[in-house]
Parts: sequence; C-alpha cells; structure tokens
Amino acid sequence: MTPRNSQLSSPKSPQDLLGSKGILVGAAALMAYGITRRSKTSLALATAGGLLALNASRSGSNSQSAHTRATFLVNASPEKAYELWRDFSNLARFMRHVKSVEVLDETHSEWVVLGPMDHEIRWYAEITEDVKNERISWRSRPDSLVQTSGSVEFQPHRAGRGTFISATVRYTPGGKLSKTIATMLGKHPQFMVREDLRRFKALLEAGETPTTVGQSHGPRGVHGSVEQVLFRETGNLAAPQAAQAYSQTA
Amino acid sequence: MKAVCWMGKENMQVHNVPDPTILNPRDAIVRITSTCICGSDLHLYDGFVPTMEQGDIMGHEFMGEVVEVGPGIRHDKLKVGDRVVVPFTIACGNCQYCADQLWSCCDNSNPNAWIAEKMMGYSPSGLFGYTHMLGGYAGGQAQYARVPFADVGPLKIPDGIPDEKVVFLTDIFPTGYMGAENCNIRPGDTVAVWGCGPVGQFAIRSCFMLGAGRVIAIDRVPERLEMARAAGAETLNFDEVDVLEALREMTGNQGPDACMDAVGMEASGHGIVYAMDKAKQMMRTSMDRPIVLRQAIIACKKGGTVSVPGVYASFIDKVPIGAYVNKGLTMKTGQTHMMRYMAPLLERIQRCAIDPSFVISHVLSIDQAPQAYKTFRDKQDRCTKVVLKPWESAAAA
Repeated sequence: MTPRNSQLSSPKSPQDLLGSKGILVGAAALMAYGITRRSKTSLALATAGGLLALNASRSGSNSQSAHTRATFLVNASPEKAYELWRDFSNLARFMRHVKSVEVLDETHSEWVVLGPMDHEIRWYAEITEDVKNERISWRSRPDSLVQTSGSVEFQPHRAGRGTFISATVRYTPGGKLSKTIATMLGKHPQFMVREDLRRFKALLEAGETPTTVGQSHGPRGVHGSVEQVLFRETGNLAAPQAAQAYSQTA
Repeated sequence: MKAVCWMGKENMQVHNVPDPTILNPRDAIVRITSTCICGSDLHLYDGFVPTMEQGDIMGHEFMGEVVEVGPGIRHDKLKVGDRVVVPFTIACGNCQYCADQLWSCCDNSNPNAWIAEKMMGYSPSGLFGYTHMLGGYAGGQAQYARVPFADVGPLKIPDGIPDEKVVFLTDIFPTGYMGAENCNIRPGDTVAVWGCGPVGQFAIRSCFMLGAGRVIAIDRVPERLEMARAAGAETLNFDEVDVLEALREMTGNQGPDACMDAVGMEASGHGIVYAMDKAKQMMRTSMDRPIVLRQAIIACKKGGTVSVPGVYASFIDKVPIGAYVNKGLTMKTGQTHMMRYMAPLLERIQRCAIDPSFVISHVLSIDQAPQAYKTFRDKQDRCTKVVLKPWESAAAA
C-alpha cells in the first residue's frame, strides 16, 4: 500500500540523519555495555549492537515517509475503530509522547506533547479530511511552532476478519523547538508510529494497553537500570497517576 | 512484601519490595498461598535466556486469594475473596488469537512485543516472571502479585481442594497435557517422552489419558524414572543404553508414533556433538542445546509427530531437516494455551482421576528459595518439584 496523502511522501528530511546517528550512538552503547558486562547475555547484546550499527549505517538514505507508516489488522469493525480514533481526546491513551489532546470544536484540537525532561510542547491541529469509517487526516495549524501532520485509514478485511488500520505521522523540523521534537520523536519514527498503533489495537480490542510501568521489583542496580533503557521500558507510560486512581477506586 | 528476585546468573535473592498495585482497569491483586519453581525458571537461573533485568521478580506458577480488583472487571467474573489459580500466560480474551483459543499467542498482553518481534517475527503473549522479551511482568514467587486481564486467566477453585492438588494447573499439568495432545495420539499409539521432570511426568500420564498404548520415558535420574514407571511407562536411562537403538528394538524397527521433547534448551547427552553444543552455548554463539530435538526427529516413525513442550529460546544448529522432510513428520509446539485446559483438568482432579501432588518433593518457605533453585537445578536431594509457601517463616517449614 502507498500513502494516499502526497504531502506525506516528501524527500529525505534532516531527522533521517539524526535518526540513523541516534541509532549508531545507541548501538555503540549497546556494544560497550554488552562487552563490559560479565554476564552471559553480554555477547548477544554486543552482537545485537553491532548488527544495529550495521543496519543504521546501511539504511541511512531511505526516505522518511516509508518509515512513519504502520499497518495493523485489528479484530474490530471499521466503525468501532473510526469511532475510537475520531474522538481525539483518546489519542493520549495510546500515543506514547502525547500527554493530552483537548478537542476544541468539530475540527480543531490542542495537543500537549511531553518532550525531553518532561518539557511540555503545545500546538493546535485541525482535521483536514474526515471520511466516516474510512479515513481521518489532520495537520498542525500553519502558525504552530511544530509542523506535523498525520492520517489514519480503516479498511475492512476482505474475508471479514477485522479491519486494516494504517497510520502515517510526520513531523517537519522548523525552528529550534521543532528540532528538539525531531530529536525526541524522529529518533525512531517507524518505531514510534508502530508502537502507537499497536497500543491503539490493544485499546480497541482489550480496552486497555498492556504495561508494566509502576510494578514492583527488586533493586535494579546499575545493570537493571541500563537494561530498562535498552528495553525502552522507562518511557513505556500508561500514566502511573491513573494507576493510583485505580487502586483507590477498587 | 517478600519476593524472589533475579539478580544475575545463579543469583536469586529474597528482597522486601513494595506491594503490587492495580495498574490497568482489568488488573487484580492476588495474595499468594502457594507458588512453585518451574524447570523453565532454571533456564533464567542459569542465565541462558536473554532480556532479563536485574531485580526482576521470578515465578509463574502461583495461586491464592483475590484481594483487590480493578474497575474494569465485572463482579460475576472475579471478585475479592475468590480463590484462584493463575495461568502463566497472560491473555486479553478479545484479540483474534484469543478468539481462536490460541491463548499463548495473545496479541495484546506483551508491552515489549517489539523485542520479541525482532527475534521471532511476531510476539507471543506476555508471561509472568519471565524475560522482558515476553513482557517482563513481575512474577509470583512473592507474597502478592498483580494479575493483568484477571477476568480471562484465573480459574476459580472451590474450597475443600488443597493447594497441592491444583497449583500445577498454573503451568506444568496443562503443559504436559498439551504436549500429549500435540502428539496426535490414536488409540494404542506408542509415544516416546524425553525428559521425566515435572512436565514429562504429566505428559506421560496425559498420553495414557489420551489413549496411548505404550509410553517410553527417557531420562537418567533414578527417582524420576521410577516415577515414570509408577505411571505405567517403560523407561530408558540414556546413560546406560543407546536410546535410538533401544527404541528401534522396542518398536520393531518402526519407531515411536510420536516423540516428545520435554527437555528443551539445556539437554544433556553424550558424544562429540553434545560437546560442541555445550561449547557453543558457553561461548554464547548459541543459546540452545537441541540434543533431544535431534534425537526425537531421528527416532520418530515415518509420518509421525514430534511434539515440543520443552523451552527453546533462540536458534539451533544441525537439525536433521532431511530426516524431518523425507520421513514426512509433523512438529507441534507452543507455549501452553492455558485457558483451553485448566477447567477440564480441574474437573479430572475433582473426580480423582489424577492427583497432581505426586510430583512434589519439597515444600519450603520463600526464604529458602535461593537454595531451592540450586537443589532443583542440580537434582540433589531427590528434588523433582519445589512448592514455596510465601507466608511461612523458614523455621516453620
């Protein structure tokens, strides 16, 4: 499938380079960590780091748009899927970096995204296309600090086994603030979109997104903490404050 | 609360950690009355499975009483005070896989699905007390545990049945049963079972339940072979006989109709190939030692079935794929689809068709867990299965 929105398939953008550099740095860290650790997983980690570095250096020249698209087959009707997504206040429930989306009117919304060090970044978005049960597209208003656009499509499976949901999200670095965002979000654009869509699928099917953030554990030590970062569990948020609320209501 | 924590290779420690809390609407908290050490925990203890984190709480075989439920759980499904056994796989109950009864392939229970996808293509369900590739959920070798999707997994147990009879519904009894079911047994079939650990024991008994005429059990630990004979199996000690030759002799040059690998990645054996596998595993160029799997493929009858309930973590070398293809074999595998088997097997226990407590060799307090891991791993002290009592002190146990 190719993106329908031609705006999304633009030539290579700066955060591509940033992205592959980021991966290279991460891969180097992984290798260093793997080699220094005396545990039995060390060689596997170091090897993984090496492969990652190789991969990053090879794939550096691919175009951005291909990386920000993800498709999931979801066990629900297009109507249910559209309904959950169309209420933009739900976006914060499955988009990893989005703290909140306030719906202002039928087509406008205010987004708050958590940047590095929990720094809040805001922008206003408008819905540019809305075909019931088929497609929703949105973009940030031209005067916003952050230039972003996205779209999601819902296509029923031919044999009735649910709905294919394809999401595309794009951030265009503009000013300094946008660069910060690109660093944060553009590091792994493909990863981000896929994980967001995976969480959307869980929310739609199971009514919640799986998490282990906030669970009990023994002393992590240096190694446990590094592993948490490696496995990307530190930012795997499902709002711990919500957890508190659940514990109190139960 | 007290919890058994993985602190590194061969380093289990009991720590005081915060009690678990409800994190998602469909969570419940269980106060644990019995919990076990599983053979698959030993792969973690030995440091052979990647993506563990220092400080992880171990354990995926636990039962107890529900003390808290999240707001997303209907009270007719589960409520405070219910006595439950908790399956080791976590399933949402709503995805296509759960709808198809492939519970251990649930799409929505692994928060770290991306790691598993890197290694396996697609992610299986989350598990308790296992690697972060499989979710990294805190386990049940503790005094309390958080149970996600608690309206799907936990099975209510009526009062009057002791823990010891039902606690193995959490993993090893259904796992042995599915291993037997995966053998495609027709009445009178001969099944060879490699590994007479706890899963192997339940597998042997399940094979007979499903109509096998003959079960040949293979191990080298005397008390485990004895236990297999008690179930009606014939036994082979691989230290004493050439297993392939013995099976050929016993089956009239046909081979067993089905072969089951209830051993997995840390198999023991003899000869040069075993030495090479062991060296590769120590050098970390391979995480698995597929000695049993190779033997099972070679031993199996033409057109037969190879069932693999044993745990493998990554990639294996020198698999006799030529034998597999040319003999027209079928292989069936998978983490156990727990929710398919728990209720029917509980029913068997209730009508006294089987008493799973036969497999228990040690009942200990949670403080003794670190030592128990070593005893179980080294098969010292006739250890076949350890049950831990989280609320008893070491002195009383």
